[in-house]
Amino acid sequence: MKIFQQLINSPSQWIKEEGPEANIVFSSRVRLARNIQGFVFPPWASNSELKKVSTEILEAAGKSKYFKVSSVIDMEKLSFLERRFLLERHLISDEFVDNGKYRFLVATEGEIISLMINEEDHLRLQSILPGLQLMEAWKLSDKVDNDLEEYLNYAFSPQRGYLTSCPTNVGTGMRASCMIHLPSLVATNRIRDVLKGVSQLGLITRGLYGEGTSSRGDFFQISNQVTLGLKEEQILNSVERVTRRVVEEEKRAREVLLKNNSAKIKDEIGRAYGILTNAYLISSEEALQLLSKIRLGIGLGFLSGLKIGILNELFILIEPAQIQIMEGKSLNPFSRDRTRAKIIKEKLTIHPPGQMHGCMDV
Amino acid sequence: MLCQLCGQREATVHFKEVINGVTRELHLCEVCAEKEGFLSKSFPLPDFSLPSLITGLTEFDTVLPKKEKKCPGCGLSYTQIEKKGKMGCSLCYQTFEEYISPLLEKIHGRVLHRGKVPRRGKMRSKIERQLYQLRQELDKAVKKEEYERAAKLRDKIKKLQKDENFPTTN
Repeated sequence: MKIFQQLINSPSQWIKEEGPEANIVFSSRVRLARNIQGFVFPPWASNSELKKVSTEILEAAGKSKYFKVSSVIDMEKLSFLERRFLLERHLISDEFVDNGKYRFLVATEGEIISLMINEEDHLRLQSILPGLQLMEAWKLSDKVDNDLEEYLNYAFSPQRGYLTSCPTNVGTGMRASCMIHLPSLVATNRIRDVLKGVSQLGLITRGLYGEGTSSRGDFFQISNQVTLGLKEEQILNSVERVTRRVVEEEKRAREVLLKNNSAKIKDEIGRAYGILTNAYLISSEEALQLLSKIRLGIGLGFLSGLKIGILNELFILIEPAQIQIMEGKSLNPFSRDRTRAKIIKEKLTIHPPGQMHGCMDV
Repeated sequence: MLCQLCGQREATVHFKEVINGVTRELHLCEVCAEKEGFLSKSFPLPDFSLPSLITGLTEFDTVLPKKEKKCPGCGLSYTQIEKKGKMGCSLCYQTFEEYISPLLEKIHGRVLHRGKVPRRGKMRSKIERQLYQLRQELDKAVKKEEYERAAKLRDKIKKLQKDENFPTTN
């Protein structure tokens, strides 16, 4: 599949680039849910209705200036592995991985903007940017949304706003989220309190891949719960404000770690680097855990030769479907662990961190 | 200040009316204001007059449509929607208003949209505003017995109403 191949070869721009607060904030994402007036919502729609509405949206995307250079992917034509690949790249949701007819993904080059057609809503538009740039991500989503509206008649009511399949999304239809890396809050056992504080402020925290997933590699997602009765800017401000507070907490925890356990922290980071650059086999669990330490090490200024962008990329590249798609075949767990170890070693030694003992010379 | 009706939520909607020189003020929360029809004329609710609400809560139940009522947009009943947790179509929000409104309040703590309005929606509210003004003028014209002017205004209103006829959920 040629289009899919293009996607594989072009790296996600938002992963490689470094945004504001890159040491702690991985990415900022704004997702808008929209439905088309006059069509039954996807969870209840027949195949012919799904087909009709998907044609209409694909036509609109084809006319939009934002999708001039983009890939259109028919989910039905993909293998389970290929769908997992897109999930790991944060382009589709868990629900979209499950088989279904007339479901499409449209992704721009660099994967900054993407559309899921016929997920729970007719249209799910997402913009994702590196680092803490929630407002910028919103501006982008807003512009694309306006452009698509030139060609589509959205289901909207002045009282309830954008009408969605699930009442939890109605109103703005917006979910704004920041993905943050909090290894020191985890290490100092403060994470529970911090997350509790976040939820008391009316926001949700989740794991790496969204709803219902655990937090692997010390990554957490903060997003809004309320979508109705507030202006988009109010929601974005509150998510951004709370994220900034959590970032400050993580920074403070890093200072505490350095002050009280400097030797221990350096030892852990050095050992992680040692294992990652020398392991012959490595599971994704172990890799995530150790890469988290390396990411922290870069943030603390220990591994000066390594860039956050490379680490961010690795967090995605070591996932099972990424490895198998890149290798072009399905692999058993043993071969996956072997390939994973190879990829990590390659990426971490291409840019040698000063010396192998980068973290010791501080 | 708390809502004068429910006495629980913050009053965010304030009315002032002067009848025969007597000023009366009304301070309501969004939810009650909407229930009373102050905020959304286009989502008509069964006649909830203030006294009927206060005197008998039992009446509240009797005016609710049966859950088996079907949505004209997608043909689903509220029982089906409740089971799946997903609305059938945009019309469901209006058809099952009585169930949705309290649900939205529970989820979001609010019931009225304040965010972005699509371009078409903006056009719609503009037309609604124009219609309102024209109707007021029409009232005045009739009172003053200016029938020729009234007829012209009526035609204008009819024309606008036709223009307004792009798809809406209301």
